[in-house]
Amino acid sequence: MIRSDSPRKVRGALEYGVDLDAPGALHAVLIRSPVAHGRLRTLDLERVRSSPGVVAAIGAAELAELLPSRRGDPSRPAFPSEELRYRGEPVAAVAARTLGEARAAALRARIEVDPLPIVAQIEDVFPEWPGSGEGESEHVNAHVLARQGDTERVFARADRVVRGKYRTAGIVQMPLEPHACLARVEEESWRVQSSTQSPFGVREDTSAILGLPEEQVVVEASWVGGGFGGKGAALLEPYALLLAAASHRPVKLQLSYAEEFELSRSTLPSTIWIESAMSGDAILGRRVRLLLDTGASLPGRDFATGYAIGFIAGPYRIGAVELEGYAVKTNKPPFGPHRAPFAPQCVFAGESHTDEIAREAGWDPLEFRERTAWRVGDETPLGQKVGPFGLEEGIARARAIRERWRKELPQGTGIGLAVGFWSTGTGAGGEVLVRLGPTELVIETVEAEIGSGSVIRGLVAVAEEISGLPREAIRIERTDTARGPYDSGVYGSRTLGALGHAVRVAVTKLLEELGRRLPGRGEVRLELLDGKCVASRGEARTGVESLFTDTERATSGMLARGRHYGRGGEILAERVITGGFFGYTDFTAAVHLAAVAVDAETGQVRVVRYAAIADAGHVVDAPTYRAQVEGGVAMGLGEALTEETLWSAEAELMNPGLLDYRVPTLLEIPPIEVEVIEGFPGAGPGGTKGGGEPPIIPVPAAVANAVADASGARVRELPLTPERVARALKLL
Amino acid sequence: MTSPLRLLVNGVPVETPVPPSERLLDTLRWRLGLRGTKEGCRTGACGACTVLIGGHPRLSCLTLSHQVGEEPILTVEGLESDPVGRAVMDVFVAEAALQCGYCTPGFVVALTGLLKEHPGASESSLLEGLQGNLCRCTGYSSIRRAVTRLAEPAP
Amino acid sequence: MALLAPTRAEEAIAELLDGPEGRVAVLAGGTDLLLDLEEGKGAPEVLLSLHRLPWRELRWGREHLEVGATLPLAELERDPELARRIPGLLEAVGAVGGFALRNQATLGGNLVRASPVSDLIPILLALECEVGILGSTGERTIPLEKFLLGPRRTVLARGELVRRVVIPTLPSAFRWQRVRPANDVSQISVAVARTPDGEHWRIATAGVAPLARRARTAEALLRGRSPPEELMVSAAAGAAEEAGVRADKRATDTYRRQLLRTLVLRAIRAVPVGPTGDAG
Repeated sequence: MIRSDSPRKVRGALEYGVDLDAPGALHAVLIRSPVAHGRLRTLDLERVRSSPGVVAAIGAAELAELLPSRRGDPSRPAFPSEELRYRGEPVAAVAARTLGEARAAALRARIEVDPLPIVAQIEDVFPEWPGSGEGESEHVNAHVLARQGDTERVFARADRVVRGKYRTAGIVQMPLEPHACLARVEEESWRVQSSTQSPFGVREDTSAILGLPEEQVVVEASWVGGGFGGKGAALLEPYALLLAAASHRPVKLQLSYAEEFELSRSTLPSTIWIESAMSGDAILGRRVRLLLDTGASLPGRDFATGYAIGFIAGPYRIGAVELEGYAVKTNKPPFGPHRAPFAPQCVFAGESHTDEIAREAGWDPLEFRERTAWRVGDETPLGQKVGPFGLEEGIARARAIRERWRKELPQGTGIGLAVGFWSTGTGAGGEVLVRLGPTELVIETVEAEIGSGSVIRGLVAVAEEISGLPREAIRIERTDTARGPYDSGVYGSRTLGALGHAVRVAVTKLLEELGRRLPGRGEVRLELLDGKCVASRGEARTGVESLFTDTERATSGMLARGRHYGRGGEILAERVITGGFFGYTDFTAAVHLAAVAVDAETGQVRVVRYAAIADAGHVVDAPTYRAQVEGGVAMGLGEALTEETLWSAEAELMNPGLLDYRVPTLLEIPPIEVEVIEGFPGAGPGGTKGGGEPPIIPVPAAVANAVADASGARVRELPLTPERVARALKLL
Repeated sequence: MTSPLRLLVNGVPVETPVPPSERLLDTLRWRLGLRGTKEGCRTGACGACTVLIGGHPRLSCLTLSHQVGEEPILTVEGLESDPVGRAVMDVFVAEAALQCGYCTPGFVVALTGLLKEHPGASESSLLEGLQGNLCRCTGYSSIRRAVTRLAEPAP
Repeated sequence: MALLAPTRAEEAIAELLDGPEGRVAVLAGGTDLLLDLEEGKGAPEVLLSLHRLPWRELRWGREHLEVGATLPLAELERDPELARRIPGLLEAVGAVGGFALRNQATLGGNLVRASPVSDLIPILLALECEVGILGSTGERTIPLEKFLLGPRRTVLARGELVRRVVIPTLPSAFRWQRVRPANDVSQISVAVARTPDGEHWRIATAGVAPLARRARTAEALLRGRSPPEELMVSAAAGAAEEAGVRADKRATDTYRRQLLRTLVLRAIRAVPVGPTGDAG
């Protein structure tokens, strides 16, 4: 069996956030802003409260009464009391006996708003790239600028300059399970079960928003029906807890799909300019300009601009590089993380541009990349040294696949190549408790299995490798933030790298302790004999139970704590002119090939083959790793071809549902070939590198490059809908 | 205004008061406690809530409970007692044709319905029949491998 | 809200006549109506469900197929004769949603909802089908083109229900274009049918404003079972001009015209040259 959770999942036997229930639980609904921007003049919940079935209704005023002495983070109010910053922003919440009653009551709130001017899109602030001095604007959340070398000089010296302007669309994570939680408040304990990727993250956010001590908030993850970055921070938990405190009843709060689209905090549109100064086949210099719509994000909370912009320049040897970006504040919902946040968009621009340079000069795009790619030991524009990196090897493998495809596929099929790189040593740390009992090894963590297998399979596989026990003797035990060891969350492709390391440390400690208790010398391993855990050293076998102390026997086993706190990458300070940049660590490459057929009259693109080559470092479980690559590619194909949030001039989301926001179905996804490169070790246990995010990164670029190869049409805007392709084909 | 409703669910007759506008999805999940049927989009666009009614795959989010009548309902909880259902579940486990597992009940129920109606259906017709079921995790690759094993080999 | 599910047509008609005016919603498959209710659009006092009426017939005649109003689309799709006798209808039915949805959705419901993006209306227009309408005084039959008045508007009067659809068996073809090929709303859909002798061609288009319509000027250009290529091209171009396309969130008007030119031509070419149906 590949995954131990499969039997329960095919039977629908697991409890997800939406399945949570408690006797007497109330159902809650959020009351949300009717405008994208305005000043809240009146919020009157009287008619809500008198509505049938309503037990509690709470807005900013009621909150002040409920928690008079609270000291919440003033920059993160639970409810806005003045400025409404985006349409759908929660301004109050209501709990009633049934969901229908709560919905009906929510419609009765009296909300009066003085409208304020709406900034709906980047162009409302910057119609074009701002000239010098024009970037000072109240609508800018962040400005970043870094420089390596003398770009002015190399552009003046160039034989030719290749320019491109690219646009990317807003997208949403859209896990099949919407956000859902169940809150209970008893005495001093504010307890919430939630479909979350990060129980401790939710605890930290919730306590900051509500002004409660962290220990007073207890978060427990349910099974999670997909996250993709959208379930990391607190979203519903503070509202559900407030209603539970006000009503003295358990409160269930779950988003509808329409609400999920508006509140999930995902990727918003961007415009990217790239200029490359060429001399022969050398890239003398590159200028990258990014305008990123960060929606109604609060100042200082932009995490994307300075991180993502490095990906646009690409993993290439370039003489001089200038990176500049603005995080633009608009009245869309706030920007948030989404599987490899904003990297597929950056790489779409960067890798389309790389392809354009090559095709314009008549070079093979693959060979051009081969010549220009970073080698181990090269330096990034931010001055970091490139560590073990499978890019060169990946391109070599792509060449072999391309040769095979060219023989197998019909004339007219286009083949596109794109490479992505990513940094998976995020530095965010965590801890586990590992308990060796008489018959099993138990890994205690707060983290839920969100689907990737990183917890239920990855952590178990690490324990298998280190201990020698078979997987059936190893179990994950999920606990809550009151009892469990700290961990930062299941995101950023970090679970195996950080938490897996912690497991390795804890299991190693247990083996060392067993070694001290056993006679003789040499390596200690564990095995399962007749259902019992047995320690082996040389030829000797000893049941572990006989080695336990009295306390261990009474508490069902030997306990060890494993910790792993990594370090972020260091960048050269002199390269940074302004703004916050982030260092990369643990470079990993994703080299992808797409083969497409383009309908020359309608612009319809059909992806007929796909190959993903993954720089895995070390694989602890091959089927689970492959499944991550396959899933990432499919999600990337959605971003490439069909997924796009549509916004009105009033910043209203025009397609908040699956009928018009087009997630790929099985029929759009071709069989995916996966090749794994090991041998360029990362910082994870045994040399693993993060696996969840890299496979989505090059997908839109690979498809765009394949479309150009098939038809000559260069589409510089995501997604590549049939209409955009038709336009590039000059049919319109 | 609720009125008593009789349903035949997984071979068991049940009676429960149900308001006229209630969806079968909600009756199954909250009145009968059968939460294996998952609530997704509630607009018929994701397939997570698929059940068999009279042997045919149907969307329980777009079906009123009072519309079902005497036709037998089969949910994921009842698949085990159905030979085709059991075969589908076994193959999904063997191929790990799932990740988060949220869409999985909808997939195994829909596939069971398709295979019961067309024993020996081809791989392509089974895949075609699953286009109304969305999965966000697997990229459909492992699901495709499961379908290959369930389909008759092409002639 | 009350739910009524009469077993006899007379009861259903009586309820429509006696129930509160404008507050009775008729429920067939419900795949569209329940969406409205979920979104809070409309609050009927009575839901009149047709599911217990004995109307799920499918009967082949020499020159026609008669389909009861409440027959689920999937039942139509399951019929072994459809591919041979009305190929365009099978293609159009298969384009509607996923399989589970087609086990619920009905032909009658699709016509009454009269959506501008219906994939079924263009093929039924091209086939010149007739709609049987049942009222308190009996059944009347009118051509579909007269039945449809606009989006969500038909000639149905108070106390009337669609009873059946009568569909001529003709060589025909159906084509569509979508952003996402599977299970999406079509940007344009196109249906073409031909009389067995080749005397008359009929072209209908959907995804145009305000509702699917025939392209009569274009039709007039075609004659014979396999018209010359240049006439097919002109007919397709003509259909694109007369369709009255407009821009919305799914496509611009220029793109829709390009799609019409392309898809009408492809559909004309796809109509089987040989006769289909017993009448041929």
